[in-house]
Amino acid sequence: MSDGGGSGSGSGVKAPPTLETAAVDTAPGVPQSNGMIGGADEQSQSAVILEWLAERGIFLFTTALVLIAAVFVDGFASLDNITDVFNRAAPIGIVAVGMTFVVISANYLDLSVVAQVATAAVVLIGVGNEAGIPVAMLVALLIALIYGLVNGVAVGVFKANAVIVTLATTFIGLGVLRWASGGSIYFGPQDSLIRRFGTTEIGPFPLSMIALIVIALILQFVLNRTTFGFTVKAYGSNREATRLAGINTAWVVIGAFTLSAIGAMIGGFVLAPYTNTAVSAMSDGFDFEALAAIIVGGTSVFGGRGSVLRTLLGVVFVSVLTNIMVLSGLGFGYQQMAIGALIVLAVSVDALARKAVSS
Amino acid sequence: MTGSSTITPSGAGATDLVSRLRTVLARRTEGRALALLVVVAIGTIIFEPVAFTSYEVTLGRIALIGLVALGLTAVILMGELDLSVASTLALTGVVMASIDNLVLGILAALVVGLLIGAANAFFVVVVGINSFIATLGMLFFLRGLGFVVSDEQPVRIADVDAGIAFGKPLIGGLTPRMLIFIAVFVLMQIFTTRVRVGREFYAVGGNRQAARDAGIPVRRRIFTGFMISGFVAALAGVINTLERTAADPTAGSTVLLSSFAAAIIGGILLTGGRGSVFGTLLGATSLGILQVALTLSAVQVDVQNIIIGAVLLIAVITDPNSLRAVVGSVRSWLRGRSVATT
Repeated sequence: MSDGGGSGSGSGVKAPPTLETAAVDTAPGVPQSNGMIGGADEQSQSAVILEWLAERGIFLFTTALVLIAAVFVDGFASLDNITDVFNRAAPIGIVAVGMTFVVISANYLDLSVVAQVATAAVVLIGVGNEAGIPVAMLVALLIALIYGLVNGVAVGVFKANAVIVTLATTFIGLGVLRWASGGSIYFGPQDSLIRRFGTTEIGPFPLSMIALIVIALILQFVLNRTTFGFTVKAYGSNREATRLAGINTAWVVIGAFTLSAIGAMIGGFVLAPYTNTAVSAMSDGFDFEALAAIIVGGTSVFGGRGSVLRTLLGVVFVSVLTNIMVLSGLGFGYQQMAIGALIVLAVSVDALARKAVSS
Repeated sequence: MTGSSTITPSGAGATDLVSRLRTVLARRTEGRALALLVVVAIGTIIFEPVAFTSYEVTLGRIALIGLVALGLTAVILMGELDLSVASTLALTGVVMASIDNLVLGILAALVVGLLIGAANAFFVVVVGINSFIATLGMLFFLRGLGFVVSDEQPVRIADVDAGIAFGKPLIGGLTPRMLIFIAVFVLMQIFTTRVRVGREFYAVGGNRQAARDAGIPVRRRIFTGFMISGFVAALAGVINTLERTAADPTAGSTVLLSSFAAAIIGGILLTGGRGSVFGTLLGATSLGILQVALTLSAVQVDVQNIIIGAVLLIAVITDPNSLRAVVGSVRSWLRGRSVATT
């Protein structure tokens, strides 16, 4: 990956695209139809390779990583460990597939998923203990809709920066959650439906992983086969054109953030049963891991391009990587470094591919 | 929108004055910070006047919030963002505490801060990633690095006496932290208003292509901005570590919220080109007084976070661009309605 990056940066690239130009100037699917294609063969070849790496490379990376792990890492290729990877991957994955819509709409990411996942988990067990699971789920859904609406209105109507808006809503949301829950841990009853959901496995697949696959398939359908999905992509690649086409762009953004919020809610629903406990700090780092999965999966942070199913592969990649590090005795610090580096590296390849194609 | 001063309706001198005032006000971006400061100050005088009588505490808090925000201002002026300041602060503290010689440690920490700034700028300028994502990745990477270097534990500094001395008032109740904050503020204010390089930051943020056409070395300016931000964050890390006589690898998570809140309340536009160091000072001051008053009124930290988060949210959706966007969409919505009904 870094080799590809090096050769790309050497190929005479100049102006860094500013945010606006990057979002507006690039057409969604067909960058090859650029007028200045008469450059050196070598260069267009490296562009093709970079583009392929940025968009489809995840198939190769995931396969390679799993193979390497299976051969070289002791204890990776056991049924228990694989189930463990899936159990960890499922909640992050469900968050990531929902958040993919926010990234495709060129709004960077939704930091507030951290607060949303924890809230959904605490509500599911805390309120569920008092008033039953259906009521708890309804309350959580209501909260998710509020998150989607607040984030979506601030970003879509007020045109505020998504990173800052969701940074603010994260602190508000976590503050409300800690204040309301007193920071205490909630335990679910031993014989509840929640407990059974968290312990049932079909082969190596826990139920949460099956939920992730089903949700990813549904969202892939929404992204590729519905007007909403098409509009999100269009908005991500060219805001102004989408607006001029008579589409109410505010609702597109609100819709993307609401999908992200619902994904985070379901993520919380499957996270809580795994340990049958819920606490406000249980989803720390979900925002970054989900973003890493989305970006490694080839969804462009520049917006307009992306795929839910490849996000799913990205989730597998990130989870396997974390698992390998845990098995090799590398601590929390190394894992965070790896995910940070992964985000920067994957986005670099994407950025260099775009530059190589357009130069 | 603001050029109305020349086309005022003839006659009425009052409207002329009003429109001139409006122009002056519209040019300044510190309005919201000033409004918040007035509200907070009045509220504090009524409910918790101790926050002013124990002004050392309040000033210390303002310096704590404001220092990182001052560095951020340089980056945001150019329309970029540096989210990595939070872990820069933590990592540089750890680096400093890990080196036994105090002076060498401080120097190493500051150099690390500069290097982090240069790395951020490299990804933004040379690779071409937008700064939100690049510095977000760096935020995580550096936090992890801080954990690795410190072995996931707080690191005590070797020269504890120096640390204790550092926390004591130096000149008339002002601790070194406040003096450094004031010095950084004065330097940044001079840099962005009187020094050519600093003034060019506004040009880079306002219209990057025009700045390039005018012969401003845009890439070098962005490098300078990120290095200022990294350096100031490292300075804050050094000060924190000295005052606490130990470096905490988990430090800085609330710094991110409050320093961004200070800068944005201070009226800086996230798209670049507008804002001021003075505004950031006002923003930090109002937030500092607010926090001390809330703490003195025994408000829980969670509730304080809710309040500051809400202030940040309101600040970011009430900047002129946002309000214009809302007014525009409401207008077009109304027009659409009237067309539909007629």
